[in-house]
Amino acid sequence: MQISYIAVIILFCLGIYTIISNKNIIKMVMGFTILESSLILLLILISYTPGGTAPILDRQYEIVVDPIPQALALTTIVIGGSVTAVMLAVTIKLYKRYRTLNVDKLRKLRG
Amino acid sequence: MEAAVWVIILPLLTAFFIGISKVYVKKIFVPLVISSAIIYLYLLILVINNSYPPNVYSVGAWRLIGINLMVDPFSGLFLLIIALLFLPVIIFSVKYIKSYKHEYFIFTYIMTAGIAGMVLTADLFNLYVFLEVSSLSSCALVALKKTNKGLEGAYKYLVMSTLGSFFILLATILTYYLTGTLNIAEISLEFNEIPFKIKSALMAFFVFGYVLKIGLIPLHFWLPDTYEDSPIPYNVLSSGLVMKSAVYALIKVLYIIFGIDFLDKSGLLQIGVFWGVITFIVAHLLAFQQSNLSRLLAYSSIAQIAYIMIGLFVGTEGGLIGGNFHILNHAIMKGTLFLVTAIFYYSLSAVNIEDIKGLAYKFPILSFTFVVASLAIVGLPPFNGFISKWLIVEAALESGFVYAAFFILVGTFLSLTYYLKVIITLYTKNDKEIVVEEPGLSLSLPTIFLGSLCIVFGVVPSLPLRLINKIPTFLLDNGEYIRVLLGG
Repeated sequence: MQISYIAVIILFCLGIYTIISNKNIIKMVMGFTILESSLILLLILISYTPGGTAPILDRQYEIVVDPIPQALALTTIVIGGSVTAVMLAVTIKLYKRYRTLNVDKLRKLRG
Repeated sequence: MEAAVWVIILPLLTAFFIGISKVYVKKIFVPLVISSAIIYLYLLILVINNSYPPNVYSVGAWRLIGINLMVDPFSGLFLLIIALLFLPVIIFSVKYIKSYKHEYFIFTYIMTAGIAGMVLTADLFNLYVFLEVSSLSSCALVALKKTNKGLEGAYKYLVMSTLGSFFILLATILTYYLTGTLNIAEISLEFNEIPFKIKSALMAFFVFGYVLKIGLIPLHFWLPDTYEDSPIPYNVLSSGLVMKSAVYALIKVLYIIFGIDFLDKSGLLQIGVFWGVITFIVAHLLAFQQSNLSRLLAYSSIAQIAYIMIGLFVGTEGGLIGGNFHILNHAIMKGTLFLVTAIFYYSLSAVNIEDIKGLAYKFPILSFTFVVASLAIVGLPPFNGFISKWLIVEAALESGFVYAAFFILVGTFLSLTYYLKVIITLYTKNDKEIVVEEPGLSLSLPTIFLGSLCIVFGVVPSLPLRLINKIPTFLLDNGEYIRVLLGG
């Protein structure tokens, strides 16, 4: 169990590192996907109980897996999917304009 | 209280029907948009009237296991802002927006639904979902014109706001892990038994996530870029509602879930006030250097949000009243300024400050509205900005933040300099013959309506303060929220 939580931490930090360190837009989008999957993994992990079943199918259940985080995980996947879609749509438009995926070359605005 | 759920459903339905009207019946587009906005105004007034005493509406009558909507004075204030801004902006946009008309209205309605949902929900995960609904549609609106600047702004906005929302999601998941519930009232009860250090870590995640969305210095750099080349009527909603909804969520999480005692003990109140002071000083200095009108107003927005943060983080009754009143006032004042800027852009595509030279003689009434709104935002009497700023300064002095009160006065002078620069350019005689396109009534009426509200709320501040006066007791003591949500 503990090792899985460490995996979540590693994935989360990896995602943030990918977003911060990369200059390539596509790789930044990948960083967001990694970040999102680490959070989905965390959601599944906190609901997991060893030997638990879903309370719907089995009549003689004793240990139950908490169903709420799994519903939340589904919602998170949907939101993450739409975020990725919007990001990639903007990326396509940017690539058509600038013919580059390097963030440093996009220099119309300076913050 | 069924009206509360319709406040979220109606904009979503309208967005759907706008999409249908684009494909099948083009003629019903304008009547559909306007009538929906009017019905929405009626629903909002209905809900705001019921906001005190606070009451709960459970969707599907599932009570505590289901989704609960809660109407309280704090959310009533935000619904009031939607009510004041939404219909004028829609009427304005019908004429103003020429390209991608349907898309613009679809995204605006979805964004409003997201904000209304954030304001009404009493469930931590729903708060995250609605936040994401509003910020994603807001990103799409920034990119709407498909110009280079707009796309770049949208990309920056997407990166920063998504990063922020993942931190919020992380904090939400950890909260669920610790308490086993997502209902805000139950979390708040469970939180009494959680150790101080764990709560502090959770609070750090929440604060970082929301502050990324609010855009305090030094996490502000994406914000002016999103304003520069987006449709200007959208900027009214963006500065008035989207930024404010993140402030709303932050304050609700901090005051209701963590409670004022914990905030005081952890030192976040002091950090918040200090952060606010730094933010508005830097933002005022940056605003002074801008030549683009929209960017100038965007930096001014950051500074005003900082005033609001000071008011809300002082942590006394007066501070909360002042901060909340400034939320309302800033929405109105910045709305007026952006709408006048939009008219200038519409009439002669003016974007920079020197482009508007001498326009006061072409548009006397609109320029006067601009002057009124900018003097109000600087904080001169008898306009509304003066009263809310005065309340914030008074509250800061009372609770010992003397440096904050001092720097607010310094900041007033700084903001006076750059707004005077714009006003002087506006009233300087221009020798060149200016050819303008007449804006017409449907553009100028919403602008003048919002501008006159600046004076009305300045002369009769008791009108909005009747609602706002009920907020502090509600936020400072989270017992009432818990009692209403769990018991009612």
